Amino acid sequence: MLRALSRSPAPVVSLLSPRAAVLVETVRGRKSRTDPKAKSKLGRIKTPPPVDPGEMVVLKQRYTEYSLILRALRLEFKEQMLRKKYEEEVGSVAEERAKREEEEHRSLMALNDAENLRMREIREQRMQQEAEAAELKKRDADILRQQELENYIKEKERHILLLQEEAKDFITPENLDQRIEEALDNPKNYNFAIDKEGRVVKRTAFQR
Amino acid sequence: FMSPSFLLKKYHGGHVVIRLALGGATNRPFYRIVAAYNKRARDSKYIEQLGSYDPLPNTQNEKLVAFNYERIKYWIACGAHTTKPVAKLLGLAGFFPLHPMTVTEAERRQKAALTEEVKTDSQQQVEQKEAL
Repeated sequence: MLRALSRSPAPVVSLLSPRAAVLVETVRGRKSRTDPKAKSKLGRIKTPPPVDPGEMVVLKQRYTEYSLILRALRLEFKEQMLRKKYEEEVGSVAEERAKREEEEHRSLMALNDAENLRMREIREQRMQQEAEAAELKKRDADILRQQELENYIKEKERHILLLQEEAKDFITPENLDQRIEEALDNPKNYNFAIDKEGRVVKRTAFQR
Repeated sequence: FMSPSFLLKKYHGGHVVIRLALGGATNRPFYRIVAAYNKRARDSKYIEQLGSYDPLPNTQNEKLVAFNYERIKYWIACGAHTTKPVAKLLGLAGFFPLHPMTVTEAERRQKAALTEEVKTDSQQQVEQKEAL
């Protein structure tokens, strides 16, 4: 029967309506090709709206004027835009911009140089101070090392003297016999005790 | 039904139009004057908004319209078309010449008002004669 060209996602069957009536949201072309004409529209003859010829003539003139002016306006705007673009890219605007940028660049470079100079001064002072401090430290270290060396040498000399002193009591091949006889002649007894105060005790428990 | 490739299509032979995009709520329309591609839906993604138009009069009985003339000039220079209502609004604003239909409609209305007046006058005359 009437198959509705349903744009809605819901199928026609689910809509609460009698089968014969076409019930969809108002959508252009509700009726399909095969649907019959409505009863109220059977005798209708479609006529276009009436045109007043005098008014039409005047209207045509007005339209020609209007389109002429519009075309002129369009071309005018186009020219303006092209001119602006040209100026910006090539002409005066670009020159001014370049000049401004150059000035800015120069000022920034000047600032940078000044800053660098200042930092250099500070840095040089700091380096000087550090060099002086290092110098002092080095000198102190040198002195210390020198003293250490001297102390060491003195110590060694003392050792040598002591050794020389002791060398007099050494047992040499010449003294050997003499010393052996001396040792045999003087037996030493180490069988004694001593406490912290230095009191010697010669009598021990296991004395025979 | 709407395949994704349809939305991402590169337009062939399209052009830019300056037109009214409808927004607002039920029984409360509000138009944005917009530069968009010809083939786009009325309310969908546009290139740039160039103004607005409120068709309902406000408390001071004025209908408010806004235009960004600089950008409109730019788009017209780039070759954008305008739709009839936008052209009419611009004509009333003075940026374009007055649209012929504005003038014609005004004349028609004046004529209709004149005939109404004449008819009521003649009706009053007839009634007076009958009363006498």
